[in-house]
Amino acid sequence: MSNLLKKDWFGLGLVIILGSILISFFKPAFISPFNLYVLMLSVSLMLVVAMSQMIIIAIGQMNLSVGAIGGLVAISFTGLMEVYDLSILSAMFIGLGIGIICGFINGYITVKTGISAFIITLATLYIFKGMNLGITEAQPFYEIPESVKYFGNAKIFGPIPFLIIIPVIITFLMWVLMNRTSLGRYMLAYGNNVQSSELMGISSTKIVVYAHIISGLLAAIGGMLVVCRLQLGTPNIGDSWLLPSFAAPVIGGAILAGGKVDVIATAFGVILVAIISQTLVIFKIDPFFVQIFLGFMILIAVFINRYREYREDRRNKVFSNE
Amino acid sequence: MSKNILELTNVTKNFPGVKALDNANFKLKKGSIHALLGENGAGKSTMIKIITGVYKQDFGSLIIDDNKQSFSSPNEANKSGISVVHQERNLIRRFSVGNNLPKNNLGLINYDQVAEQSKKWLDIMELDIHPNTIVSELTVAKMQLCEIAKALSLESKILLLDEPTSSLSPQDTKNLFSLLKRLVKEQDVSIVFVSHKLEEVFEICDEVTVLRDGKNACVSENIKNLDRQKLVKLMIGRDEQIIKSKENKNINKENLLDLIKINTDLGHKEISLNLKKGEILGLYGLVGAGRTELIKCLLGLDRIISGKLVLNNEEIKIHSPKEALEKYKIGYISEDRKKEGLILMHDVLTNAGITVWSKLKKILSFLNNGIIYNKVDPYVKKLEVKTPSYKQLVSNLSGGNQQKISVAKWLAAGTDILFIDEPTVGIDIKTKAYLHELIINLSKSGTSIILITSDMPEMISLADRIITMKDFKVVGETMNNHNYDDMSASIMANIHE
Amino acid sequence: MKTKIPDFVKTNQFGLLLLVIVFILLFTFTTDGFSSRFNIYALSRVVAIDIMIGLAMMVVILTGGLNLSLGALGVSAAMFGGWCMESMGIPISISIVLILLFGSFLGWINGYVTVKTGVHSFIVTLATMSIYFGFMTLLTEAEAFRKLPETFTDFGSMKLFNKYISPLLLLSIFTCFVLFYLFKFTDIGRKLIAAGANPDAAELSGISVNRMFIYCHMLSGFLAAVAGIMLTSRIGAAIPSMAGHLGFDWLLPAFLAPVIGGTLLSGGKVTVFGTMLGAVLVTLINNGLYLIDVGEFWVRFFLGLILLFAVLLDRAREYFTSKNSIVS
Repeated sequence: MSNLLKKDWFGLGLVIILGSILISFFKPAFISPFNLYVLMLSVSLMLVVAMSQMIIIAIGQMNLSVGAIGGLVAISFTGLMEVYDLSILSAMFIGLGIGIICGFINGYITVKTGISAFIITLATLYIFKGMNLGITEAQPFYEIPESVKYFGNAKIFGPIPFLIIIPVIITFLMWVLMNRTSLGRYMLAYGNNVQSSELMGISSTKIVVYAHIISGLLAAIGGMLVVCRLQLGTPNIGDSWLLPSFAAPVIGGAILAGGKVDVIATAFGVILVAIISQTLVIFKIDPFFVQIFLGFMILIAVFINRYREYREDRRNKVFSNE
Repeated sequence: MSKNILELTNVTKNFPGVKALDNANFKLKKGSIHALLGENGAGKSTMIKIITGVYKQDFGSLIIDDNKQSFSSPNEANKSGISVVHQERNLIRRFSVGNNLPKNNLGLINYDQVAEQSKKWLDIMELDIHPNTIVSELTVAKMQLCEIAKALSLESKILLLDEPTSSLSPQDTKNLFSLLKRLVKEQDVSIVFVSHKLEEVFEICDEVTVLRDGKNACVSENIKNLDRQKLVKLMIGRDEQIIKSKENKNINKENLLDLIKINTDLGHKEISLNLKKGEILGLYGLVGAGRTELIKCLLGLDRIISGKLVLNNEEIKIHSPKEALEKYKIGYISEDRKKEGLILMHDVLTNAGITVWSKLKKILSFLNNGIIYNKVDPYVKKLEVKTPSYKQLVSNLSGGNQQKISVAKWLAAGTDILFIDEPTVGIDIKTKAYLHELIINLSKSGTSIILITSDMPEMISLADRIITMKDFKVVGETMNNHNYDDMSASIMANIHE
Repeated sequence: MKTKIPDFVKTNQFGLLLLVIVFILLFTFTTDGFSSRFNIYALSRVVAIDIMIGLAMMVVILTGGLNLSLGALGVSAAMFGGWCMESMGIPISISIVLILLFGSFLGWINGYVTVKTGVHSFIVTLATMSIYFGFMTLLTEAEAFRKLPETFTDFGSMKLFNKYISPLLLLSIFTCFVLFYLFKFTDIGRKLIAAGANPDAAELSGISVNRMFIYCHMLSGFLAAVAGIMLTSRIGAAIPSMAGHLGFDWLLPAFLAPVIGGTLLSGGKVTVFGTMLGAVLVTLINNGLYLIDVGEFWVRFFLGLILLFAVLLDRAREYFTSKNSIVS
């Protein structure tokens, strides 16, 4: 039990459960099938986006271009099908390829120049977004194959959307990556201490590039999932991802300096954000409040994380003196 | 005669403004423990960094197991069987012990296997801890041993231990030594041992190489042909004792600064001590004894939980170094001049004048270079700082001149009390002697000084009174009679009791 | 005997100045309309605001941090101004003072939270960006203030120097001189730079680093508010979307100008006139791209490339200058 209490996700899970009970007590509409369906859809999409940012936070960097990659892949995916009549599968693979290439560019330039990932990904954000707008001239692609539309709308059973399968699998794979593979360990090691990870027998170039590639890949998947959901490929897909992509990992206890992320807690962070946004909608509160809320939640989470870190530090210091 | 497993021949390494290594040689015999000695700044750490692939030498060759090598990263050195255990702990504190041991693939981790494998190395180290223990929960001594276990698990044949005992208790040190001896015998490892504690060198090393000013003072000398005095002479180029007669010094009996039962947030317990006017009070202790931390608490950087701080018979509270400087005229010369003492990317004038800006500013906060120059110039001249101009970036000056500037800014500030922390680390002998004289003159002219140094001869030649600290507590106080043997014996007795 | 090269020739600013001149000549001779009175006037209005935004970011980059909330903050201040002038009927001069105080206050929030949590200003300003912009939209109900006093809007459309230059540009250049004076000739300016260059050393030398960092954020908020006022005066109305969603449209010029101008991202170095020239260069290139007809959608792409190129160049320069100092 005391072990459970120490986990980042435990408190969050508790908040989610108690919060949901409380909300559905006041507004039974909260647990209506339709509401749950909408909730799960938004969780599905944001899960992938949050994971895409989380892996970069793990190595102590940040990726501003997550949304731009998602948008570029989304319009490439739909554009290839509409304009060049490619099959869904080949369009999908090209889309994933674009995500990988974008991630590789981010990672490679960052690690080879030593310039902060913030500024590199800010530049690539505009480059990817510019390509997106240049190609589409701000016009959406509408002709989406029926099977893609179906995939975006179908339900497995009850209110559970079909779409959620992919994010759940991804979350599981990310958990395996971060907790059960050496690569994940190396990434965390790099985030903790660049030098000592050098001494663990893998080059930092590889770690950083792999992390950015995975981030790009996930952003690409996120972009394509949004296409399935919206049933069209608009150039502004990804524009609003930046804030939630940071919110979920930070609420999940991730330390921005790197080296500490928790996949399950991040997923819970996504759920919490989704529930709050949804609740505000149910209570008919101005949607702009959602944004303010998200901002405050990030600040609060930052404060809490900071405090916990400080306490941990103190404990270690006192401990090593004795 | 056994063969050399590691050989450096005529290695030279230049840095801006310094020749860190100048045709230096080093030979490590297979299966031996070899001491690498030298004063701070003599080139030891540069040599270690060349061996471990952090730096590349400008000239000369590095031969390992008869193969000429040239490493471009620590990783490559690792693969050739070289591991270093640093002073700074290189374990990742949030990871478990097992997870800190390297793995060579990128695939799935089998945790049972990790535990099993790491158990093997932990057993060799006679470490009775579970591989799943989180590193941050270990004691310092155990972390040290884990680092060695980590190095062994890389199948290293050459281990470099950089000041491995600096934060260990005598008992832990003893255990470590017997372990090292066993490793050399059983695991076929060769060890380079870097330490400034000469007793330890005599205890476990077979051969000694000494560096002085980047050159060899001796190469692979058999330890049996040396004694302490000879070794010291090799290291500093002259005899050890540099004690100046200070009989005529007139210490005011009044207490200037009193610490009464100070407890701090960092874990200091019941620290009581006093500083008299014009006195040099030494604070001695091992690394991790809490000396620098105490000073930082006094400056308001960390919290004092309870106890009293009394200056001139008045109880005071210091909330920040700014307040210490401006209200109480207290200054601090940091041990880490690159990180805390100076702004390396700025010029000499900025660094020398930073403490007096507030005092010099005119109406509307106006302040130009001329005003600062007029104030600072006498001190920079007095300290004989060698710089082409005031616009020179401090990063381009030699260590000695950098240190002079970090002293000059406090002289310019005109402080009554000066905390001086390891003032001569990494500084050439001439500047060192100069700084010693300066500190003595400062105290003669009425400045009260608390001096932290881990350099015993320095402590004994400068301090009037020596407080010994251990584990964030004061464990002894001794009047200094400037006799090295007496003093070092009694201070060590304080620490090791 | 070698002739001595004057110091300023070796500086980044001089290179920038050359580039600016080259581009001006290039566009004057290759495109129609670049040197027209209309185009130059239009450019002067745009560049004035870009300089101000660049300076607002520069003073935070000085601390080694950044201010993502710049655009949201500037727009919030502008909307606050619109409310003061239009809804409350407060006189223009008092309104402007209030706006500047408001901007500084929002900057203070950024600084205070950053210093107190000790986390990077990136995440703090990411959050405040969303908070400021959210509150602004909520309170204004996304409606613009379009009936501002005429003296206020006239200033933005005034034409000086034979109708070539907007007074807004003069204001920006004046601000540059004030900041230059601040950083070069005052105690407080020196302390801001020292705190940014090495916080630990500055703190131990008796500088209150936290306070300096808060000052930097306040100055950033102040300058962003100035930019907001200028933009409002130029457009003739205070519009919630005038800096894009969350104020994101300001972000690229905000980083481009200081980075091209030679401000170190790790902090501790400012180049006021470099930032000014950086903003001029970016505006020129931007304008040139329109004139040679690359299509407005590709402009962003090129600006992104330019930013990438600028940081790479900066890196290369750092590399070579460090090589130099080893030799000398």
